[in-house]
Amino acid sequence: MSAKKVDLSVEFCGKKFLNPFMLSSSPVSNSAEMVGRSFDAGWGGVAYKTLVTDRVPIVHPSPRMHGYDYGDKKLVGLQNVEQTTDRGLKPNLLDIAYLKKHWPRHRVMASIMGFSNQEWADLAKAVTDAGADMIELNFSCPHMTVEGSGCKVGQEHDLVEKFTTTAHKVTDLPLIAKLTPNVTDMTIPAMAAKRGGAVGITAINTVKGLSEVGLDDWVPRPNVFGKGAISGYSGPAIKPIGLRFIADLAAHPELKLPLSGIGGIETWVDALEYLLVGASTVQVTTGIIHYGYRIVEDMIEGLSDYMAQKGVSRVQDLVGKAIPHLHETGQFDIKRQGIARYDMDRCVGCGQCYIVCRDAGGFALEWDEKKRRPRQVEEKCLSCMICGFVCPVQGMISFKEMPKAFKRRETITLGRARS
Amino acid sequence: MGVAKRLDSPDCRGFDLGQAVAEAGRCLLCHEAPCSKACPAQTDPGAFIRKLRFRNLTGAARTIKKNNVLGGACGILCPTARLCEKECSATGIDRPIRIGRLQRFLVEHAWKTGFNPLEKPETRRKEKVAVVGSGPAGLACAAHLARLGFPVTVFEARPEPGGVLRYGVPEFRLPKEFLQRELDDIRALGVVFRCGSPVRGKGAAEALLKKGFKAVFLAPGLWAPMRLNSRKAAGVFSSVDFLAAQREGRKGPLENALRGKPCAVIGGGSVAIDCARSALRLGASDVYLLYRRSFAQMPAEEDERLEALQEGVHFLVLNQPVEYLCDPKGALTGIRLRKTRLGRPDGSGRRKPEEVPGTDWTLEVRAVIEAIGNKAPEGSSQAYPSVAVRPDGLIRAGEKDGRTSKAGIYAGGDIVRGPDLVVRAVSDGKAAAKAIAAQLGVRA
Ligand SMILES: Cc1cc2nc3c(=O)[nH]c(=O)nc-3n(C[C@H](O)[C@H](O)[C@H](O)COP(=O)(O)OP(=O)(O)OC[C@H]3O[C@@H](n4cnc5c(N)ncnc54)[C@H](O)[C@@H]3O)c2cc1C
Ligand SMILES: Cc1cc2nc3c(=O)[nH]c(=O)nc-3n(C[C@H](O)[C@H](O)[C@H](O)COP(=O)(O)O)c2cc1C
Ligand code: SF4
Repeated sequence: MSAKKVDLSVEFCGKKFLNPFMLSSSPVSNSAEMVGRSFDAGWGGVAYKTLVTDRVPIVHPSPRMHGYDYGDKKLVGLQNVEQTTDRGLKPNLLDIAYLKKHWPRHRVMASIMGFSNQEWADLAKAVTDAGADMIELNFSCPHMTVEGSGCKVGQEHDLVEKFTTTAHKVTDLPLIAKLTPNVTDMTIPAMAAKRGGAVGITAINTVKGLSEVGLDDWVPRPNVFGKGAISGYSGPAIKPIGLRFIADLAAHPELKLPLSGIGGIETWVDALEYLLVGASTVQVTTGIIHYGYRIVEDMIEGLSDYMAQKGVSRVQDLVGKAIPHLHETGQFDIKRQGIARYDMDRCVGCGQCYIVCRDAGGFALEWDEKKRRPRQVEEKCLSCMICGFVCPVQGMISFKEMPKAFKRRETITLGRARS
Repeated sequence: MGVAKRLDSPDCRGFDLGQAVAEAGRCLLCHEAPCSKACPAQTDPGAFIRKLRFRNLTGAARTIKKNNVLGGACGILCPTARLCEKECSATGIDRPIRIGRLQRFLVEHAWKTGFNPLEKPETRRKEKVAVVGSGPAGLACAAHLARLGFPVTVFEARPEPGGVLRYGVPEFRLPKEFLQRELDDIRALGVVFRCGSPVRGKGAAEALLKKGFKAVFLAPGLWAPMRLNSRKAAGVFSSVDFLAAQREGRKGPLENALRGKPCAVIGGGSVAIDCARSALRLGASDVYLLYRRSFAQMPAEEDERLEALQEGVHFLVLNQPVEYLCDPKGALTGIRLRKTRLGRPDGSGRRKPEEVPGTDWTLEVRAVIEAIGNKAPEGSSQAYPSVAVRPDGLIRAGEKDGRTSKAGIYAGGDIVRGPDLVVRAVSDGKAAAKAIAAQLGVRA
């Protein structure tokens, strides 16, 4: 199939999106000037930066973010102490109306957060009047300082239901609840939102974390004039957590709501994984903070080519395709066993496999000092595969299944039973 | 031995996926990428490296091939150190991104995974276009027109397409199968090759227009070797014949002439280096590279010079050949050389070599390869009498559109520029394709 024949459009909560790629609610979706440029770059929709009533003026701490690096890899994670929008409600509503007027085919989802029942109602009504396509109820900001807001609500399930009901009463727009990952079971607040009238779920917001501590000042980062805080952590490091929650929600037998996936998405591959575990749209913040809006070009091209090569013509046909393959660990067939297979022709002789197998694996490798090569004792291999993770030669160490007759040697015991 | 070891070195192979991803990981993803601005054919490395970085490998291959149908060959052959990589911002941190190798990898990766980034055109047009010569310029022009839906016929004098890529550049730098894959991609677009069909004889190009071709692109390159003014001797080859014989699989006679014997290559350009390295591979006992200026003044790329040096080529600089010496049967026994020294700068701004009187000496060699430049064959312009040519035989054509003095006839590549680069020939082919399409009412 030609990539040109692929249709990336997708329906989410009754609205048609040009493609599943959205800006998530954050500084990347802070104004019409920014969002408009993102639409021109290819993004299909936006969850606009969370609006609040003007009752309490919002002032962000400074500095408000901290980049977490791993070795020379920049920004594997991002720590932030930012709050909701610090712009007035009026200018934001004007911006939302402007976006709808100039980009009518793009979807604008207004994110709102109230500090009381009345505020939820006022905000829901205001964004409906401004022309938003749908509303995201932010039950998940991890650093709002006001009680009864942000993820404090997300953790109190009756409040989730109550505020959703409130919004539901004043608007016909689809309501999507954005939930916090800082809970053990997200399906409980998700069900509460559904009871309140939500027709979709967005997840995840940032994970509460503490990424780094200053070694000289002992202040957790970001250092806000001598003070640090446990705060929102995002970016590639949280992708496994986001995928897990989306999969949980998708697999829930009663929830059955369309999902918008977020957390650590940068490439079409990340986005596709979210689709496969059940999201029908995906949202991005840190990826844009790192690289700018341009990354969507590669998401669009990469996903289109993938679909063309797989012969899949609609995004919808990918949604949730991984869920049937998701099981409890207890259901694995442990009668089938394998080992790590070494393609020795390609070995460069670094010996890292030997070190880790000995110190963290089955001690299944012997080391030929002269030739600088490992030699595997198959019966001792645990198939933990850690040697393969550290091997610098791509694909040199892979997994292979062993015949039924294969018997793994037992680990040596040094202690002696007292007679 | 030196040669064998170099041939085995990973440098001769491409990157694998892991290496490519790691290298792309070093890219700074610059705003308005300077590397992209520096590529003569607008291959757009800034975009394809970013695509690789964001795991869009298909898209990266598409960017390369759409912009440059010889993206694979260019990845290997471009002197990147003075093109894209010269502008790389990463140089400010440590060293440039190895753009050429990434480009080669992406093209090879697409081949390996069966992904063809060049889709056949949806519309087929009627207007036929003829291309003369299947070197980089002709291939690029043909492919770009074919992608717009024009039926293109390429007339090639030699038995197989590719021009210098097929009959010049040695196999050890550009493997035949690699070129074959790249040509297959172009064939798949519907381009028709008529090999063994020289367009020659009076007015042959204009005749094509009369035969119904709406436009003709002339890209015959430069295939007449310039020769040293000395007596004839058996064992003296021109670079054109020497390199072509190897690519045509006629190695036998060359091996007889060179194996175990000392030989010399005359010249200081890339072609001379290719000849010298080929001579080593044919088994010459010693290969002398004779150049009348200094090492630093050689026009050959620095990395080629260093590779030749490491492989064991003896660089004999500041020496000028005077004449060949023969035995009574006319077989070469040596060259008389005269030492030179550098004087004042000449017209080209380089210090001019001056002969040092009384310094003649004899270098014993059994074979010589002259690599002192190529030109258009004598009388070749008869094939296009209405096209204005310069006294040296080069065609006059517009830099941005390849237009010649004759409407409907375009030209590009070495026949316009003089000896230049693959990537510039590609750029000429693209520009002419665009102008031809415009002439035929299509905006490319
Ligand atoms: C040995 C060698 C090594 C080189 N190495 C490099 C390198 O590493 N990197 C680089 O960038 N550049 C290199 N170059 C330069 C580069 O190859 C040329 O600039 C480029 O090939 C020019 O392309 P072209 O299409 O103009 O002509 P060519 O490649 O010369 O192709 C012209 C074609 O036209 C055919 N032809 C000629 N007359 C007729 C006719 N009357 N009818 C039909 N067909 C005809 C010829 O047979 C030939 O196939 C090298 C050149 C040589 C000679
Ligand atoms: C600086 C910053 C500010 C954010 N502000 C909001 C917000 O106002 N409302 C909201 O719903 N989510 C907010 N988020 C959370 C993001 O929308 C997103 O859920 C989270 O960052 C995970 O996605 P990512 O890994 O793509 O960044 C913010 C995130 C960051 C990094
Ligand atoms: S200039 Fe260098 S660092 Fe910048 S995009 Fe090009 S290759 Fe990358």
